[in-house]
Amino acid sequence: MSVDVSSRRRKAAGQGKAAHVFLLPWLLGLVFITALPLVASLYLSFTNYNLMSEPMFIGWDNFIRMVGDPRFMSAVAVTLRYVLISVPLQLAFALLLAVILDRGLRGLSFYRGAFYLPSLLGASVAVAIVWKEVFGHDGFVNQLLGLFGVEAVSWLQDPSRALSTLIVLNVWTFGSPMIIFLAGLRQVPEELYEAAKVDGAGQVRRFWNITLPMITPIVFFNLVLQTIGSFQSFTQAHVISGGSGGPLDSTLFYTLYLYQQGFVGYKMGYASALAWVLLIFIGIVTAIHFLLAKYWVFYGDEN
Amino acid sequence: MNIDRRTFLAVSGLAGLGLGLAACGVKQPSSGGSNDVSLRYGWWGNTIRQRTYETAFETFTTDHPHVTVQPEFAEYAAFQERMTTQIAGRTAPDLFWIASAQVLSYYKAGIYHDDLDKIETLDLSNFTPEQLESFKIDGKLNTVPLAVTAPVVRFNETFLDEAGATLPDEASTGWSWDGLAEFLIDYTKDAPEGRVGIAHNAQQDLTFESWLRQHGQQLWNEEGTVGFDADGLGGWLEWWEKLRKAGATLSLSEQEGPGMDWALAGDKTLMTFGNANHIADHAKMFPDYTFQLRGMPVLPDAAAGYTFGFMNRLTIYSGIDPDLLADAGRFLSFNLNHEAMLTPTLSLGAPVSGKQLEAAFDVASADEQKMLRIVQHNNAQESKPRYEAPAGTGTWRDIMTRTIEEIVLGGMGVKEASQKMIEGIQDEIAQVS
Repeated sequence: MSVDVSSRRRKAAGQGKAAHVFLLPWLLGLVFITALPLVASLYLSFTNYNLMSEPMFIGWDNFIRMVGDPRFMSAVAVTLRYVLISVPLQLAFALLLAVILDRGLRGLSFYRGAFYLPSLLGASVAVAIVWKEVFGHDGFVNQLLGLFGVEAVSWLQDPSRALSTLIVLNVWTFGSPMIIFLAGLRQVPEELYEAAKVDGAGQVRRFWNITLPMITPIVFFNLVLQTIGSFQSFTQAHVISGGSGGPLDSTLFYTLYLYQQGFVGYKMGYASALAWVLLIFIGIVTAIHFLLAKYWVFYGDEN
Repeated sequence: MNIDRRTFLAVSGLAGLGLGLAACGVKQPSSGGSNDVSLRYGWWGNTIRQRTYETAFETFTTDHPHVTVQPEFAEYAAFQERMTTQIAGRTAPDLFWIASAQVLSYYKAGIYHDDLDKIETLDLSNFTPEQLESFKIDGKLNTVPLAVTAPVVRFNETFLDEAGATLPDEASTGWSWDGLAEFLIDYTKDAPEGRVGIAHNAQQDLTFESWLRQHGQQLWNEEGTVGFDADGLGGWLEWWEKLRKAGATLSLSEQEGPGMDWALAGDKTLMTFGNANHIADHAKMFPDYTFQLRGMPVLPDAAAGYTFGFMNRLTIYSGIDPDLLADAGRFLSFNLNHEAMLTPTLSLGAPVSGKQLEAAFDVASADEQKMLRIVQHNNAQESKPRYEAPAGTGTWRDIMTRTIEEIVLGGMGVKEASQKMIEGIQDEIAQVS
């Protein structure tokens, strides 16, 4: 008996070592590519650092400066608007499509692939360039409107419209949450629907009273992921505004402003402080999501 | 051969460790064999420029077979980004171009090789002593100019002929800012196919600088700060507002922002302001049209010595391996003096030395010859000193873009916007000093 136990322990220890060998590349990446730069940026956030000279410690000055920086405030406002509008729209659209596809359409796998495609491309430079062309003054949208006698609209150069085009682009990349919703919808027990049907519940009632409550963990998962992703959006605004965040800072995403400060204005200390504020803010928003989850997310093992 | 799991894991681990160490220890191929050397050369532009430069470098490596040139090329913005991180990591290329906004920032960071004139293999004999003196920063020859260009008015001669119009005579007082504005408004009234007089190009830096110098002001001054006041800037912005309100410019929407997109503006406008060297690339985009260049309009009482040329600078990295310095000097000489470099240089402007400029006419295209003539004419004029952008002004063009947007899209008054722009730039300078 004791021989058996010790042999099992030795085996387990051997497997543990093997696991560590295979984990080593990831651990090295975590330390050198994530953790160390993170610590370095924390230090830099308390310095005046232009990348070319040695960093100079300035205490909380970078954080204090943010309070009086009108462009920081613009970037926060633009990013919040973007997140608050595009994330719910994207999730609603993804859920709608998932519900439709879940009905067993012919050629389902084709539609699934086709709808997922924009998610793969959405954050890429190529798609942002295409978007710029589509919404440009002589672009596809204005040409289409022209067919109906509508005068060309300034989509990208009008401060009141420019952000909307980026929101539409984000909503268009609904494929990823849609696939996750689709997987969640497949897990809802069929007998619940059958029982509801017997009780005379219609389609809308079944959706609100069975589908939605049953997939709230999936909705929650998508909400957290998409919120974090949207706070970090960068490429689309950078390409479409040519890196300026214009017109009139209407597409100045937080990360774009951070990039401008770090790599155009060479204020890496201030950029690091901005990055830490974003990290902390995203952490708080995610924590709030988790706190509120107990009021609306239902897990199968709960009463 | 039987390999058990334990052996496999041990071998995998050791191989991974070995690869990791090898990767960490990759040596830059700065010097390969006993005499073989490799020089890293950093520059920016479009793919055509990249190709012409790389082709020319083959001539150098054929003449100097022990040297390999490692090109580090990127589009302008990406190049600046990479340079900054390379400077931070003390791995800047051995030779590199310097963007106008970074000349003094890089100088402050101490990345130029001081006393280039003391490198024996560097031949500076094509420059006059006065020219060499004028390139110095703080009395040290730490950069050399590759090419010189000038602010110009570029107009579409085909459109002008189609409209049966004639530009005000350059030699007369009609070729003034007011005269040109009047002409553009007139042209727009009768222009066919909805064309307008000019692209909205208020943020074009060299032409703005020409305006300032004619008004007795500077873009940057000797003290390393903003060289213009709200009146100088405001006058420039007012000039554009007058044209815009008269419908003589493209709207920002039509040209996709204040940073005019020539591909969109080229066949909608009679003229644009720009750098003389841009004609070669821009004319190729519209091969059906003939483009001509003119000097900037002139104030009737323009300040003496307002004419200027803008020079692109090249240097050797202060951290270069001393063993590479002699070959770096040879390669720098090649860039400045060799006939194989004339064609690539034309994408930047005219060669700076008079001898090279003359030689460039033989290899220049018809459009490039127009550029050479303008620069040659410019060189012959009296010119007051011009000062480089001080450290911290890397974002001044972005601030100007926002200022234009605030006036055109935000309805802000020119006076208020001008004051705000100057304060914004001063604030940026103050943050690094």
